[in-house]
Amino acid sequence: MSRVVVLGAGISGHTAAAFARSWLGRGDTVTVVSPRPDYNWVPSNIWVGVGLMKAEKVTFPLAPIYERAGIEFVQASAREIHPEGDPDSDTPYVTAESADGAITRVPYDYLINATGPALRFDKTEGLGPEGGHSLSVCLPGHAVQAAAALEEEVERMRRGERRRFLVGVGHGTCTCEGAAFEYIVNLEFELRNRGVRDKAEITWITNEYELGDFGMGGMHLKRGGYITPSSIFNASLFAERGIDWITRAHVGKVEPDRVLYETLDGKQGEQEFDFAMLLPPFSGVGLKAVGRDGTDITERLFMPNEFMRVDADYTPKPYEDWKASDWPRTYQSPEYRNVFAAGIAFAPPHAISVPRKSPNGTVIAPAPPRTGMPSAMIGKAVASSVVDMIGGADAPSHTASMAEMGAACVASAGANPFTGTAASMTVFPIVPDFERYPEYGRDADRTFGEIGLAGHWIKIVLHHLFLYKARLRPGWRRIPE
Amino acid sequence: MDSEHATYATKPTAFTKFMRTFIPWQMWRFAAINLKMIEIIRRSHHGDSPK
Repeated sequence: MSRVVVLGAGISGHTAAAFARSWLGRGDTVTVVSPRPDYNWVPSNIWVGVGLMKAEKVTFPLAPIYERAGIEFVQASAREIHPEGDPDSDTPYVTAESADGAITRVPYDYLINATGPALRFDKTEGLGPEGGHSLSVCLPGHAVQAAAALEEEVERMRRGERRRFLVGVGHGTCTCEGAAFEYIVNLEFELRNRGVRDKAEITWITNEYELGDFGMGGMHLKRGGYITPSSIFNASLFAERGIDWITRAHVGKVEPDRVLYETLDGKQGEQEFDFAMLLPPFSGVGLKAVGRDGTDITERLFMPNEFMRVDADYTPKPYEDWKASDWPRTYQSPEYRNVFAAGIAFAPPHAISVPRKSPNGTVIAPAPPRTGMPSAMIGKAVASSVVDMIGGADAPSHTASMAEMGAACVASAGANPFTGTAASMTVFPIVPDFERYPEYGRDADRTFGEIGLAGHWIKIVLHHLFLYKARLRPGWRRIPE
Repeated sequence: MDSEHATYATKPTAFTKFMRTFIPWQMWRFAAINLKMIEIIRRSHHGDSPK
């Protein structure tokens, strides 16, 4: 009998747990440790945040799903990993703290860390909806709050007031610019639908060097006889929609009515707002690792940014020397063969976008995204390897390198079945491979993007399909990640 | 502030904007984009099930 423990029930952890359970025998156990009782289909939080969807439409309780599937569920926050056990027992275990402060000890034979990110609003003074002056759509509750604030702004504009909207990222090292992009174009679309667009001034603020970077170093798309950078398409969409933009910016402080920011050229600026939705930077969730004798071995398992070390090449090197092969393939910890990290929880070897600093030494460059499709694919590959190792394999049998896989992404640009649009994009591979594709790092025939109503239909289909899959309804395994 | 940059941005023609929501064309694009995405998904999966 083997015990597989999965920390986290987001896209990656839920996928890993569900597949591991379906492939393992009944004598083996799969346990999920997660602090939240609900699953959240995060990509649709955007629609909650503009008031088009209720939070209940993007979440569902995990306990009944796991009970039906035969997965044990511990609703608690993972705190410590004891990969060598303790002086009384060699059995590895994790400790988890529930909301009432009770500590649970969860033993494992194989551990999959899929804890996702900690939302580090604290990295920027005044950032965030909890004690700060800006809104977020990272969690369903945040999105509900943003929708309520937007409703108030719409009422003010209906009374004739002009209002200023600021959307983007709230720190120079943020990732997930794509989610903020979806929010700003949906916001603009909704203001038009509600007849108040002429009263709104909308501005995008980003740490990207150019629009359309999205933490992936941008994309080059073959359209109309040209290979065109994504910055052109992004600027075109903003110009068409009357959205202004500030690029290369690190937001250093959020005040009740303005942000103070620094740009890559070292200049200081400020932008006033009435409504600000700014995403936070991420870190790992702060798991500790403890040796058999009680010593702190966190540095052996985790990088300083609290994400878990896996089979990547973490040797510090200049941008010119970055390679696709630096990126992890199996997501196995180099220290413990039975420990893996999946989704956002693994430490990337470096960024994808070019690293940049202002003359003041402020890092202003997007961190690499690893959400959605790649997170689910990594979770599934890790589950496959774990199941094979339980069956006797010496080493991980499956790989899911972001430098070898592509991604399909649909970014909503306005939700309406007849007048809505979305940008449909594919990239291959996610992490550019300049040895294989010397000019742009990606396969130009498989890196594609277009905007239109078809993209919105696809987005709607994916919303329902992935929630169906996450609920582990009949045939869920046949739906790709 | 990059506001003046918007002046120099590429903008879609009325025809391009019309085609973005012209349902017969978008039905075709729905099929074409799905095929492209299926190709990416197929190339990205390396034998997912345990051996």
